[in-house]
Amino acid sequence: MNDADIPADATDRVLLQRMSTGDRAALATLYRSYHGRLCRFLSRLSRRPDIIEEVINDCFWIAWQKAADFRGDSRVSTWIMGIAYRCGLKALRQHGEEAVEDSIAEERAPADDPDEDRELRDWLSKGLERLSTDQRVVVELVYGEGHTLDDVATIMQCPVGTVKARLFHARVKLRNVLPALAEGSVAVKERKDQVP
Amino acid sequence: MLAPYFGQDCPRAWEMMPWVLQNRATRKQTDWLASHLAQCEACRVEFEQQKRLKQAMSLPSDVKVDAEAGLQQLLGRLDAPAVEEPNRTRVGAGGWLTRALVAAVLIQAIGIGALGLKMWSAGDPVGYRTLSQEEATTATPGAIRVVPDASMTMAEWNALLHSLQLQVVGGPNEVGAYTLAPVNAKASKPNTLQQLRAARGIRLAEPVTGAP
Repeated sequence: MNDADIPADATDRVLLQRMSTGDRAALATLYRSYHGRLCRFLSRLSRRPDIIEEVINDCFWIAWQKAADFRGDSRVSTWIMGIAYRCGLKALRQHGEEAVEDSIAEERAPADDPDEDRELRDWLSKGLERLSTDQRVVVELVYGEGHTLDDVATIMQCPVGTVKARLFHARVKLRNVLPALAEGSVAVKERKDQVP
Repeated sequence: MLAPYFGQDCPRAWEMMPWVLQNRATRKQTDWLASHLAQCEACRVEFEQQKRLKQAMSLPSDVKVDAEAGLQQLLGRLDAPAVEEPNRTRVGAGGWLTRALVAAVLIQAIGIGALGLKMWSAGDPVGYRTLSQEEATTATPGAIRVVPDASMTMAEWNALLHSLQLQVVGGPNEVGAYTLAPVNAKASKPNTLQQLRAARGIRLAEPVTGAP
């Protein structure tokens, strides 16, 4: 656990404890504090906002119901991400291929996104396309969320060795495609710069 | 696919990179990686890419979902009748399985019904007898009911039946009586009953005439 994780987890535990007594204000606080990271995490599984919202709400519905059952074996964030992961997989099974599709991708890139961020997103999304769902999830949990291998194993309910293998293969794949993608985007940028 | 490692220390450096980027590595590990990167071009390039990957992964989601609208929806869901949620979950998780099981049970029931109907309409006598059914020994010509002595051995019993060409067709009943019949009804010996009564180890031998 990082030093920074400790106070955050303590706050989450208090919120969860209050939720177990039916405190909706605590639910709202926890919901808002996790919404952004769950959104990003689930966007690695599905590109559809309606499905992401559905999964987040399913996740917090379960957290609300099970708050009293939280044993404290892991961090609250690990527990919540685990619920979200399972809800996300369930949504993928229910919605099939359409859950993954990004029908309105052009409209999606935030208008206030600086060029550099947009380029970075583009580079990343092309790289992540080459990964399996499980590999994308592991990469998101390690690089995006900052979870340890043990945390990821808890979230995905699989052995640490499996997580290690998924991370390794994901990194090898990314290592082989990302430099080329970076060169490609630089070349495109240079061509754009040359246009009067 | 390119091999990820180049030098002897590269695997260690490769494994350590995400945790150094997460600030989870110890000071010693971080220093070791820094010294390795200083002398390994390949790992330096990889580490730079890892930093860029982390930076890209840390950007907020580009799929915009309204948190407040979602929260209001969730709070509304909490107020919905309590029975709504479990049903919703169960239908989603095991709906197809339940339907498949119900269909299988229905098919089985129809099959059993059809089979029963066929057997009932055919009315064929069955080719077997259950132990609870009354013996049909009265119809066997030359059937004899015999009570062997408890001291009689199986070998003696078998030898006696063999010598008189008899076989057991029923029993033992509640008093330990067996029903014997000639192996070949046509070649049955007329004095079998007397021979049985005279045989050692036979306590009782009576012809079957109907009720015992």
